[in-house]
Amino acid sequence: MLPIDRYAWTNRWSGHHPGERILLAGGLLLLAVILPPLSTAPLVLIVMTAATVIGAGVPLAAFLRTLAIPAGFLLAGLPFLALSLDLSASPHLAFSPDGARVALDVGLRSLAAMSCLAGLALTTPVSELIPGLRRVGVPQPVVEIALLMYRLLFVVTGQAIAGRRAQEARLGYGTLRRSIRSLGVLAATLFGRSLARARRLEIGLAARGFEGELKVLTPPRVLSTTRMAAAGTTLFLVGATGLTLGRFLP
Amino acid sequence: MHIMEGFLPPLHAAAWTVVSVPFLVIGARRIARISREQPRAKLLLASAGAFAFVLSALKIPSVTGSCSHPTGTGLGAVLFGPSVMAVLGAIVLLFQALLLAHGGLTTLGANIFSMAIVGPWVAYGCFRLVRPLGVGVAVFFAAMLGNLATYLVTTGQLALAFPDPVSGFAGALTKFGGIFALTQIPLAVIEGLLTVVVVNLLVQYSRDDLDEVGFDRRAGLGLAREAVR
Repeated sequence: MLPIDRYAWTNRWSGHHPGERILLAGGLLLLAVILPPLSTAPLVLIVMTAATVIGAGVPLAAFLRTLAIPAGFLLAGLPFLALSLDLSASPHLAFSPDGARVALDVGLRSLAAMSCLAGLALTTPVSELIPGLRRVGVPQPVVEIALLMYRLLFVVTGQAIAGRRAQEARLGYGTLRRSIRSLGVLAATLFGRSLARARRLEIGLAARGFEGELKVLTPPRVLSTTRMAAAGTTLFLVGATGLTLGRFLP
Repeated sequence: MHIMEGFLPPLHAAAWTVVSVPFLVIGARRIARISREQPRAKLLLASAGAFAFVLSALKIPSVTGSCSHPTGTGLGAVLFGPSVMAVLGAIVLLFQALLLAHGGLTTLGANIFSMAIVGPWVAYGCFRLVRPLGVGVAVFFAAMLGNLATYLVTTGQLALAFPDPVSGFAGALTKFGGIFALTQIPLAVIEGLLTVVVVNLLVQYSRDDLDEVGFDRRAGLGLAREAVR
C-alpha cells in the first residue's frame, strides 16, 4: 500500500466534497506559481502545511516524508542554476549572482508548489479526483480507464513486490547481468498476468451484462458553502498579502 | 526524468501543456473509438496502464551502484503503439504526481511531452527503422534511444526555462546535459538490454498476449508466422 494513498482515505477531510480541497490546494498552487515567490511562497507553504496537518489531521511526519524526496532532488538541482558556464576560449564554471537569485526564486516557488501537491494528494484519494477530469473535457472512456487503472495498479504492485522478493531470495540480483535478466523476467511475467487479469475481468463483467460502460457508485457528497467560503477567503488573503509584501521585497 | 512541481516558470509550464494537448486529443479519440468498437479494450488498456505504472516504479540496477527507474517508454511504445501510449503515459504521470509526489501538476504538460510523447514516438520510429535487422536489435535501439530522447527533451526544457546567465541557452544545455550524460547513457543501455529480455520472453511464451495488443502486427511477426504455416 502506498503511504500517500493511506492518508488520502483516512484523514479527517476524506468525507468532505473533494471540490473544497481542489479549490484550496489548486488555488494555492496557482498563487505559488504566478505571484512573486519571495513573498508568496513561504505563506503558501505555511498555510498548506497548517491546512493538511491541523485541518485534515495528517501527521506532520507523513507530510514531511512526502515532501522529503522531491525536496532533496530540488536541493541537488538548484546549485546548477546558481552557476554560470562560460563557453568562450577557456570554458569554466563560475558563481553568478543573477543565477543565485533565480535559484532562490525557483527553490521557494517549487517548495511551495510541492506542499500544495502533497496537501492535495494526502487528503484526497485519486478515485475522487479522476471523475473531475470529465469536467475539463477528458472523454468518458479515458476517465473510466484511469479509474480502472487506479484499482488495478495496487494489485500489480503487490505482485511486483512479491515477485521481486522471491527473486532476491534466490540471489536474482547478485550481479548486474543477472539483475537485468531477473528484472526482465519479472516485467514479462507482470505483463502476462496483467492481460490475464483483463481477460478474467471481462468474463466477470460480461456475466453481469457489461455493454461497454463501467457504472460505479459515487458516495453522495455535499459541497459545503462554509468551507468553500473559508477556502476562498484563505486564497484571497494569501494572494493579497503576497502581492502587498512583494512590493516591498527586492 | 520528471521535472518537479513548480520548477518551471508559469509561461513555460503553460506552453508545454499547450504543445502536449493535441497529441493527447488524438490518442484519446483513438481510445474512445477502439473502446466503442470493442468494449473489452477498456479493460485491456487499463491493465496495460497499471502495468506501465508499476514498470516505471521498478528500480533498475545501475553500474555505479545507485538505482534508477526505467522510463518504460520503449516497451510501451512497441507493445501498445505510440498514440495510445501518449494517453496511458499521461495517466501514469498524473498518478505518479498524486500517489508518489513524483513530478507535478503544473509541470505535467512538460513531463507528458518528454515522457509520453517524444520518448514513445522516437522509440517507435527507431523500432520501425531498425526492424529489418531483427526484432531484438530493433527493440534494443527503440528502448535505448527512447530513453535518451526523453532525457534530451527534459534537458532542453530546463535549458529553455533557465538559460545560463553568461552563455545563454547553449551554455545551459551543456550544463544540464553534462550532468545527465554521465548517468543517463549507461542507464539507457541497461534499459535497452532489459527491454530486449522482456520482449524475447514475451515472444517465446506469450504470443497470444502480444497478438492481443497488436504487437505482432507492428513487428510484422504475424506475417512471418503465416509464412511458416
